[in-house]
Amino acid sequence: MAAHVEVQHVCRRFAHNSATVEVLQDITFAIAKGEFVCLLGPSGCGKSTLVNLIAGLDQPSSGAIRIDGRLVERPGTDRLVVFQEAALFPWLTVLGNVEFGLKMAGVPSAERRERALQFIKLVHLSKFTHAYPFQLSGGMKQRVAIARVLAMHPAILLMDEPFGALDAQTRGLLQDELLELWRQMQITIVFVTHNVREATGLADRVLEMTARPGRIKHVYAVGLPRPRLATDPHLVALQRRILSSLGEEVAKVSTEEYGETVPLPSDLAPVPVDRTLGMHI
Amino acid sequence: MAVLGANFASGEFRTALAGSLRRMAIGYSLVMGLGVLGGLALGRFRVLDECLGSVAVAFHAIPGAAWVPLAMLWFGATEQAVIVTILLGATGIVIVETNAGIRHVPPLLVRAARTMGARGIKFFWHVVVPAAIPQIVNGLRLAWAFGWRALMAGELITAVPGLGQLLSGVAKVGRLDALVALMLLMAVIGMAVDGLIFQQLEQRVRLRWGLA
Repeated sequence: MAAHVEVQHVCRRFAHNSATVEVLQDITFAIAKGEFVCLLGPSGCGKSTLVNLIAGLDQPSSGAIRIDGRLVERPGTDRLVVFQEAALFPWLTVLGNVEFGLKMAGVPSAERRERALQFIKLVHLSKFTHAYPFQLSGGMKQRVAIARVLAMHPAILLMDEPFGALDAQTRGLLQDELLELWRQMQITIVFVTHNVREATGLADRVLEMTARPGRIKHVYAVGLPRPRLATDPHLVALQRRILSSLGEEVAKVSTEEYGETVPLPSDLAPVPVDRTLGMHI
Repeated sequence: MAVLGANFASGEFRTALAGSLRRMAIGYSLVMGLGVLGGLALGRFRVLDECLGSVAVAFHAIPGAAWVPLAMLWFGATEQAVIVTILLGATGIVIVETNAGIRHVPPLLVRAARTMGARGIKFFWHVVVPAAIPQIVNGLRLAWAFGWRALMAGELITAVPGLGQLLSGVAKVGRLDALVALMLLMAVIGMAVDGLIFQQLEQRVRLRWGLA
């Protein structure tokens, strides 16, 4: 099957104070159409940079990214981004925001409105159609951000830690809603997170990245039917494997930031909350 | 106190006030129009900003009153001179603030808009300009204050019928009560417009734009 997204030997280097920082190093992977893939890694590993590259907001220093065989060089409406902060336009209502992309594409006003209302309903915000972003909670804003991009029927949805700023309950709700939307619309999703539980709960495959310079350390195929139970022993075993591997990378980041070696979490011993990377026990 | 009241009630105050307000309305409308358009142009076209950006700042640095002699040279001691004074005294800040607003659109919004296909003119009118509105409103509010001051200075010097001219007149004949009353009136008008119109507007804009 032809890949939908192909990342080939992508490197991204930045010049910083007369030194070169290598953020991404020889990243290579492919994503199939309709697949839900998670990019998992410690902070600073370049996952957001990778999302920007796939979106076309940035160019790789070397290597190439192809979508349906075509080179990615600039932003395109076939791949849309949901950011950690909703990035809604504050001067527009929920309706105005969801219509935005359609307006840019020149869709006529009546059709635009109808489509927007449909997607607002899909994210359960019909009551707030004419509200302004400042009147919405964080979770609601992210729903609008999701409706806004889905209304444009993109082939690919890029999500950069979209639920990172939300409380655990809202996060859980939105994860379920996202899976439902994914099933209905059959789009390809690239979801960035640092949360192991979130990654294994959502994705078909998890791409684990190293600390800077970011490389793909390991690819895990989750292979479990959805909805996935948190208590499923296969899932838990997978999470432990990922956690211990990821723990090494997190330790590297800590060492660099704090200048001292932080002990690695043991695979078998109970893991304290602050090192569970989201697996609140 | 009673004397102040009598002064306020008098016809001469009312005609002077009417004259000043009319001039302010004309002058300020021009300031708004030219200032915002100028600021948008400087914000949109880097070349223009590089050539003229500091000129706008320089204009703003010159107090309104200092423009009066020049205005009088061009137009004589007329209404036009006073209106031109307002223009020269207040447009600078509107241009500067509008330009700044255009240049400081939150990068996250720019990224979101670009991914959704906003480009060129559409991007400018549907994203950049709305994002700049809080700063434009701030500029318009400041311009009111500077414009009002320039108007008073203009009327004082050119003696065109208005509050400024009345002020100079009553001072010459020693009517101190009328003098104080006039200054109170100037202050009250300045504060009223600022508080009732601009601050309310700014508050609502900042709330909606998520800045308050």
